[in-house]
Amino acid sequence: METLDHKEVINLLLQLASILILARVFAELARKFKQPAVVGEIFAGIILGPTILGNFFPGAQEYLFGAHEMTNIAFDGFVQISVVLLLFIAGLEVELHIVWSQGKKALYIAVASMILPIIAGFVVAYAFPEFLGVNINDRVVASTFFGLAISITGLAIVARILMDLNLFKTSSGLLIIAGAMIVDVLGWLIFSVILSLSESGSDGLGVWPTIGLTLLFTLVMLTIGKGLINRVLPWINKKLAWPGGLLSLSLALCFLAASFTEFIGIHAIFGAFIIGVALGDSEYLTEKAKEILHQFINNIFAPIFFVSIGLKVNFITGFDPGIVGVVIVVGLLTKYYGAYFGGRLAGVSRKESIVAGFGMSTRGSMDIVLGLIALENGLVTEPLFIGLVILAIIASMSAGPLIGWARNLKV
Amino acid sequence: MNTELTLEWVLIGINGVAIISIVQIGKICLFKVISFFKMYQTVALAIAFSPRMEALISETKRLVQLFGSELILIHIGKKTDELETKLDEIILKTGLDKLKTKLIWKEGKPVKMIIQACKEEKADLLVAGALKREGFLTYYMGSVGRKIIRKAPCSVLTLIEPNVESTVFEKIVLNGTQLEITPHVIEVGINFSKQIKADQVHILNEIKMYGLQMGTASEDSEEEASQTRRQLVQNEVEYVERILNKIDQGELKINIKVTGGRWAVELARFCEKIDADLLVVGDDHKLNFFDRIFPHDLEDLLSTLPCNLLIVKI
Repeated sequence: METLDHKEVINLLLQLASILILARVFAELARKFKQPAVVGEIFAGIILGPTILGNFFPGAQEYLFGAHEMTNIAFDGFVQISVVLLLFIAGLEVELHIVWSQGKKALYIAVASMILPIIAGFVVAYAFPEFLGVNINDRVVASTFFGLAISITGLAIVARILMDLNLFKTSSGLLIIAGAMIVDVLGWLIFSVILSLSESGSDGLGVWPTIGLTLLFTLVMLTIGKGLINRVLPWINKKLAWPGGLLSLSLALCFLAASFTEFIGIHAIFGAFIIGVALGDSEYLTEKAKEILHQFINNIFAPIFFVSIGLKVNFITGFDPGIVGVVIVVGLLTKYYGAYFGGRLAGVSRKESIVAGFGMSTRGSMDIVLGLIALENGLVTEPLFIGLVILAIIASMSAGPLIGWARNLKV
Repeated sequence: MNTELTLEWVLIGINGVAIISIVQIGKICLFKVISFFKMYQTVALAIAFSPRMEALISETKRLVQLFGSELILIHIGKKTDELETKLDEIILKTGLDKLKTKLIWKEGKPVKMIIQACKEEKADLLVAGALKREGFLTYYMGSVGRKIIRKAPCSVLTLIEPNVESTVFEKIVLNGTQLEITPHVIEVGINFSKQIKADQVHILNEIKMYGLQMGTASEDSEEEASQTRRQLVQNEVEYVERILNKIDQGELKINIKVTGGRWAVELARFCEKIDADLLVVGDDHKLNFFDRIFPHDLEDLLSTLPCNLLIVKI
């Protein structure tokens, strides 16, 4: 087995240390300005990456992130694990009983808030592929991918905003949370189907087998899988060290599910997400355990992933104001109006629908993962990905003030 | 405010001694007291001539006497002389007032007919017996029972181990989790507890998505996160207190407990831990096909009943 040499180990440790330190500094700065940590972490990546450090101190940037190929491969392993864990925690956040309790209203809001951006995104990208930077050879898939990427809601971010505004447990708050959970589940289901349609993303299983397998995997995990989890978890909680036993085995389960979905031709992150949903919905996974998993992943692995975005992309050379403008306008308007009309259609009051519109527009997590996969699969170009990241930053920064403003509206 | 004080006001009002405002308060209280004693005007019991029928009738008789209600015995099946005689014997044995007891015999599908009878007779409460798992000391609601609970137009009381001697409901647990129906559940639960002279009432309240909330709070400093944790608990206690302040609690000893897990599971665990006699929960939506595939909350409780269960409907 090949191992890293002395210099490469030092390099890897320095990479991780610099990423975690700068991510923490900027997350704290974001916190000072009442902004989500993810905004700070993305900025930390922009500073450490080719945009700032590479531009002003190319030597330092090269030493940290370009000197050792093996280190970068090892670091990429960390990023992959981070994405898988990020999706695992996103799955844990989905609580099906909350979704059921909100019922039709949440479903209408979620579906409408996805359909409008997906259609609008598809139309815009399909009509102007060269302008936007979607892969012209895989035009349908790339355009749908773009639509899907602007249709995602940042569940963890909106949860935080609603908590800060003391709206989390109100009817509007729970409606938004349940809506965001539905968006997450639907988003990842659609994602795995689209990826199978892509020539570059599929390993040749074909569309229908992949769709069938995706649905089968989801259904099995949420019924039989959950049943098994419900039988094993009480034993783990009782007989093994706590929370050590639970933490290590739940992560092992996450990696197993991720590797299984990767093996059958669906992306690894889908397996991590669905196992997260199944595990999170089990009554035997205590809230304390969820809290620990959240803290552990959100504060160690999430920063590694969000900082790594800035390392991969140059936000100055790749910046295209036209593309960014279109992505922001289409993304914000369609998501807001989709959720708003969905709410009105379900009989939600006008004011609550406006609040839901702004709440559902929050982004900053899964949409970036989706965008990055599209970029890595050659479906979108760097400028379009930058547009998606900037949309995520603007949407998550503006959601709080907009929801605060909307709840005081006299309509 | 307690019940005695309320009754005193009523008497002053009736005697016409006190000032008008007190008379008015008295009238309001009198109305409240009357409706309080008539918490359930009509109680229905579905009987199946099982070995536990006598015990179920005895239990229901006690409740009917406490609530001053009328009793309806519903049997789904063919009316035969033999069954009629058997029922008459049990009615006599349990000391039921035959004049205040209505017997309904219906033929057809049990669930449909029981629901129909409840609707026709405008029953406020339907009493049913739970099933016992073979070889285990656990109880559950069978598929017929679940269907009845799902479709019943009124509240349903499920008794796990009915006794001829009558069960004493000493420790009662109410679901105080923030749901649309919760204020009504707490009100019904408190009135029920007063009526049956319960010793202790526990109101269990779930902090929704505690893990997610505290997970996102981990972006804050230790002090802020602790403050968030305290605030989450405080919010739940205040929610229950706000509801309780509007209800006459009588002499009841009420304990509010806040938990971080899912309410159905936590309620079941808590009931088992304190050996509760009755659990009161609300049901504000009809369970559907998906609820069976992805069982949750109420379905969870019905699959393993921790104690007697009162399901309150609006």
